[in-house]
Amino acid sequence: MEQKFFDLLKEAIEIEDHDVNMEDQFREYPEWSSLAYLSIIAMLDEEYDVQIEEAEFKKLRTVGDLYNAIQK
Amino acid sequence: MEKQFNPFSLNDKNIVISGAASGIGRQCAITCSKMGAKLILLDLNEAGLKETLQLVENGSEHFSAVINLTDYNKVEEIISFAVEKMGRISGLLNCAGISTTLPLKNAKPETLDKFFQINVYTAYFLTQTVCKMGNFSKEGGSIVFFSSAAGQYGESGKSIYGMTKGALYSCAKSLACELSRKNIRVNSISPGVIVTPINQNLPHIADPELRKQTEALHLLGLGNPEDIANACVYLLSDASRWVTGSNLVVDGGYTTR
Repeated sequence: MEQKFFDLLKEAIEIEDHDVNMEDQFREYPEWSSLAYLSIIAMLDEEYDVQIEEAEFKKLRTVGDLYNAIQK
Repeated sequence: MEKQFNPFSLNDKNIVISGAASGIGRQCAITCSKMGAKLILLDLNEAGLKETLQLVENGSEHFSAVINLTDYNKVEEIISFAVEKMGRISGLLNCAGISTTLPLKNAKPETLDKFFQINVYTAYFLTQTVCKMGNFSKEGGSIVFFSSAAGQYGESGKSIYGMTKGALYSCAKSLACELSRKNIRVNSISPGVIVTPINQNLPHIADPELRKQTEALHLLGLGNPEDIANACVYLLSDASRWVTGSNLVVDGGYTTR
């Protein structure tokens, strides 16, 4: 479950060259962009049926925060 | 002997070409192979694809697959397999397409569906697959969409074909913005009338009188597939490294007047 989430997150942000960890601040990834944000929103919706409003998303800081969002 | 400087070289580049079994796609394959590219050739027409493989240089170095490009899952499989075999992709020529001359009163929703499926959807989703993480060269590269003079200029009976070509023209511009951060350049090319198998039976080419009129619209006469293939070499090569979001008009002067 955790590994699948990491893989999907890497694909959404298009991270090829490094691992992701729960404590990472995902907006600090060099690959981060406004399109990555849209890809994550789409991925959470398609894969986990989780819809997050922009205001709510802004509060999420780490990969762990995103992971917790799909547990709800 | 010192190696000759050639900014148009395609050495060490893996180039995907759709619609490679005939016409402009075939000529692009031949010309790109002469410029040193390794090719991934896609087409539904098995016999035509085999013939193309016999015409390209170093035929055994290239990869080809008989595929219906609307079978998107299969496209993903084939591209992954080709990347595994040959390495990452540096360029894509979206040549596959169909043409028609059809008056408004004869068009049906199914006609539009078919033309958008084949001319627009397949190019878009092949591009999506080629750009998928792990498939495209980390150094970037070049993608070319085949628009047409008919995508921006009107001709009777060309509304459906023109709509699809206009869509590809616009598509290239937005994708150029989206993919620039990966150093992937995206351009379109707008040929004038080129005599190829997809249009040789259409009235403006097949009918001698109409052909004369068509020729008269082109300051330099009708084009050959080589004229388009040469332009594609430029767009694929490092010679065009600062060119993205452009539409290269190669039309013998058709749109000048």
